[in-house]
Amino acid sequence: MSEGTRLENANPVIFQRSGDRVQTASEEDEDVHDPIDDREIFDLIRSINDPEHPLSLEELNVVEQVRVKVNDAESTVGIEFTPTIPHCSMATLIGLSIKVKLLRSLPDRFKIDVCITPGTHASEEAVNKQLADKERVAAALENASLLEVVNQCLSTRSI
Amino acid sequence: MNPVALPLNYNLVQLLELRACVFLHCCSSSLHFTKLICLFVCLFCSGVKDGKFTVLQLVEALGSSLTSSQPHTRARGVLLLSEVLQECYRDLTEREVEVLIAFYENRLKDHYVVTPPVLKGLKELTKCTNLPPGSAVSMLRSVFQDIHVQVRLSYCCTFKGLGADFVFGFVQSMDGERDPRNLLLAFQIAKNLIHRGYELGKFTEELFEVTSCYFPIDFSPPPNDPHGITREELVQALRAVLTGTPNFAEFLLPLLIEKLDSDVQSAKLDSLQTLAACVSQYEHKHVAEFLQGLWTAVRREVFQTSSERIESAGLAALTALTSCLSRSVLSSDSEDSLSTFLDFILTDCKHHLCEPDLKLVWPSAKLLQAACSASTSASHIITAAVMPSLLEQYNNRAQVIETADVHMFNWFNIGLFKYGFSVDEVVLTCRSLQRIAEQVQDTEEAGRCFHNIIIPHLLSLALQAALQGEKGSVKGLTSFILRHQNSFNLNLLSITYELTDFHPLSPEATTASRAVSLFLDGDVSFLPDNSFPSHMQLLKQEGDSWSLSRLVCLLMGSVCSLPRSVEVPQIDKLLSALEEMSCTCSHPLSYTSAAKCFAGLVNKKPQGDSLDSCACPQVSKALLLRYHPLFTTLTDKLFSLLDDAGLGPMAAADGFSLLMSDSTDVLNRACHADVRIMYRQRFFSENKAKLVQGFNAAPQEKKPNYLKALSNIVNKLPKQVQVTELPALLSLLLEALSGPDQDIHLTTLSCLEPVLVNPPQVLIQQLEALVNRLLALLCSPAMSVRIASLSCISALSYFPVLPFRARVLRALAKPLDDKKRLVRREAVQARAQWFLLGSPGGR
Repeated sequence: MSEGTRLENANPVIFQRSGDRVQTASEEDEDVHDPIDDREIFDLIRSINDPEHPLSLEELNVVEQVRVKVNDAESTVGIEFTPTIPHCSMATLIGLSIKVKLLRSLPDRFKIDVCITPGTHASEEAVNKQLADKERVAAALENASLLEVVNQCLSTRSI
Repeated sequence: MNPVALPLNYNLVQLLELRACVFLHCCSSSLHFTKLICLFVCLFCSGVKDGKFTVLQLVEALGSSLTSSQPHTRARGVLLLSEVLQECYRDLTEREVEVLIAFYENRLKDHYVVTPPVLKGLKELTKCTNLPPGSAVSMLRSVFQDIHVQVRLSYCCTFKGLGADFVFGFVQSMDGERDPRNLLLAFQIAKNLIHRGYELGKFTEELFEVTSCYFPIDFSPPPNDPHGITREELVQALRAVLTGTPNFAEFLLPLLIEKLDSDVQSAKLDSLQTLAACVSQYEHKHVAEFLQGLWTAVRREVFQTSSERIESAGLAALTALTSCLSRSVLSSDSEDSLSTFLDFILTDCKHHLCEPDLKLVWPSAKLLQAACSASTSASHIITAAVMPSLLEQYNNRAQVIETADVHMFNWFNIGLFKYGFSVDEVVLTCRSLQRIAEQVQDTEEAGRCFHNIIIPHLLSLALQAALQGEKGSVKGLTSFILRHQNSFNLNLLSITYELTDFHPLSPEATTASRAVSLFLDGDVSFLPDNSFPSHMQLLKQEGDSWSLSRLVCLLMGSVCSLPRSVEVPQIDKLLSALEEMSCTCSHPLSYTSAAKCFAGLVNKKPQGDSLDSCACPQVSKALLLRYHPLFTTLTDKLFSLLDDAGLGPMAAADGFSLLMSDSTDVLNRACHADVRIMYRQRFFSENKAKLVQGFNAAPQEKKPNYLKALSNIVNKLPKQVQVTELPALLSLLLEALSGPDQDIHLTTLSCLEPVLVNPPQVLIQQLEALVNRLLALLCSPAMSVRIASLSCISALSYFPVLPFRARVLRALAKPLDDKKRLVRREAVQARAQWFLLGSPGGR
């Protein structure tokens, strides 16, 4: 959490939100199985709020669809997220929000892997290690204030 | 015949002279002249034929009468001579002919009473086979120069036998003529030349030159003109010449194109009218090379005209030209001139139609329409090219369609209707008409246009299609027409100009009465195409054929949307026919439509009349809407049907749905139906006790019927009513949720959802039951039920539901892996909401 009101990245570049996913006829067909694809995962995480700015992760280009890799058959999902500046201290928090969102939204069978886009952060190894550690994540969520922040990030804003 | 050589008993010549004197005396008195002249003619003819004397001698003998000072005497003399010639022309020598011609030509200069006999004589002379060369020309010349106009005409058609020589002579003699009287005659002669099949040969171009130099006529009659020749006469006469033969085409068309460029209005008008007249005789090969030039000229005239006369002349010319091209028989080698020409037109005109703000829309449309009305093939080509963009344009335009646009659109349609149709075209047309009907400005003119032109055409189309009776394409066409025509009829009837003092002859009343007489009495008189059998029975089903009875849809469209103040003619007869049809006919569309039509009429019928009828839902609805007292009996009947094993589930429950839902076709406000306010609430509040009682009393297997009826009813109630009424029915609804019927689940869930926004207290008390039910529904095989259930669960998270949190979160894990993405999406949302419950930073 930054002290005072001084933001780290005061003037971020804003990216455009992509439109809603177009519904196809097969999605309405009862008998067709829709596999979980990259776009679906991306839709889950793109509206997560940034802790500092009143913007979503998509709008800050922290998450991009190309950096989402899901394999439904093997039940794996991998996300790479890009902090806005290399020394962003929010990186861990952002990573945690993404992880929590996926934990709450995906079936248990999935193995979720969230890490920083290589070469975009000074301490990416450390952050990745934390996010990969299940026990550390569970412990973090026991922390009420941390949970509060995460929940705030995950609350959907009305657009 | 040398008289000298003949033996003579007496001096024949003297005898001749004697006879001539007698003749002279007879000439002086007009008594018995005609009888005497016959006698003399016989005398002299036999004399010439027998060789007793020659004609020249006769002429000499007649000298006294021929040179008399009295014109009448001279006339008779010449007449006698001419009559003799009539009998004896075959016996003349060339020398004699030469002399006689000279004599006669000379006599042409004489007094006018002498002229007819002279001309008669000349006529006989022309029959001689041994005319000296140049005599025809000199004859003509003198004829032209010396004789009064009217007299000439009747004698000149005899010169046909002379062929090309005559033409040449004629051309020469006419050259440089200025006198209008002569010109008129000259044109008439020329026309005869052409029309009576003279061999023009190598003089075609000369003949054309000598006549066309007068085109366009520029003539102002002098004041006090005794002959009374008008410019119009000359114009018409010249036109008849120029347009008389296709051989002139190669000369005439360039001339016309050139003259169209002139600044003089009368010249333009003349050129256009001449163009229209000439192409009616031509074939495509005559006009093919000039198409581009002609089109450019005509287009210029219509686009830039300031005169209505010129514009309409231009359009007429275009139509004529297109007809000409359409008429042509195409060989495999020849180019398709018609499509080439239409390409020119379409290229230049089509894009203007889509720019409604420029002033070229109208001229373009008129040009296209003119070409369209020329023939079937032209109209097909043009309509196919123009319709799609027109329709697209109408769809995209935000503003109301003007009446003028209706007319424009109508033109194309009329072309279609007149010249036959294909299924796709008619389908397209009907759709577009419907859209226009929805959007058109509410004017009298538009209404008239629709009622007097479009509807009869559509009705006759539908009838034709039905009469052809083939399945397959006709079926498709008919059902399409019926389905959409229905709604379009209703739309336009409701749109039509509403008069405060309703006039019995207003357009919609007329259509209604026409429709009634068509259906009840088979009266087809108002339909444009008169090839229908009279006295068709449209309201009766004949055996297995229901192609005609389907048309009752159209009746519905015509009569059911009238304002209540309009009296439908023959209504009682109509009602009983419809009732019978709806009860006896076996074709679903027919009997449903008949019932709807019946219902529509019954709804508006004034109070007090007997309305005994069959208890079909449509009729019940009709009565419900206006709250007729008879309705309660019908409702009881419907309720009792709920208990029936066979009809219960389907008909009764669906019947209730029908009762409550908005009717799209007949029984709605747009059709001026009698709809009392809050009829649904009234119905519900009056009958809910009965419903609940019936449910409680019913055996287990019948309960679903009641539930279905209930959910159908509640579903259609306005939201506020649902909310207030729900507590009373909650147990029933919960029961509905646990039953096996998926449809009921869906309807019940959709009722529940709005209530959950602001839940009444009674709902809070039943939360656990509700949650249980909802979670159970998550396993429903129907995707929509799962989704609805999830959204209800999502809504429930705003309640005091914390005790259920753990259970719900666990239960919601399963739908996260649902095979349908839409379900997963809903589950994610619901689960996210529940996670936030009671959590820091959440709720």
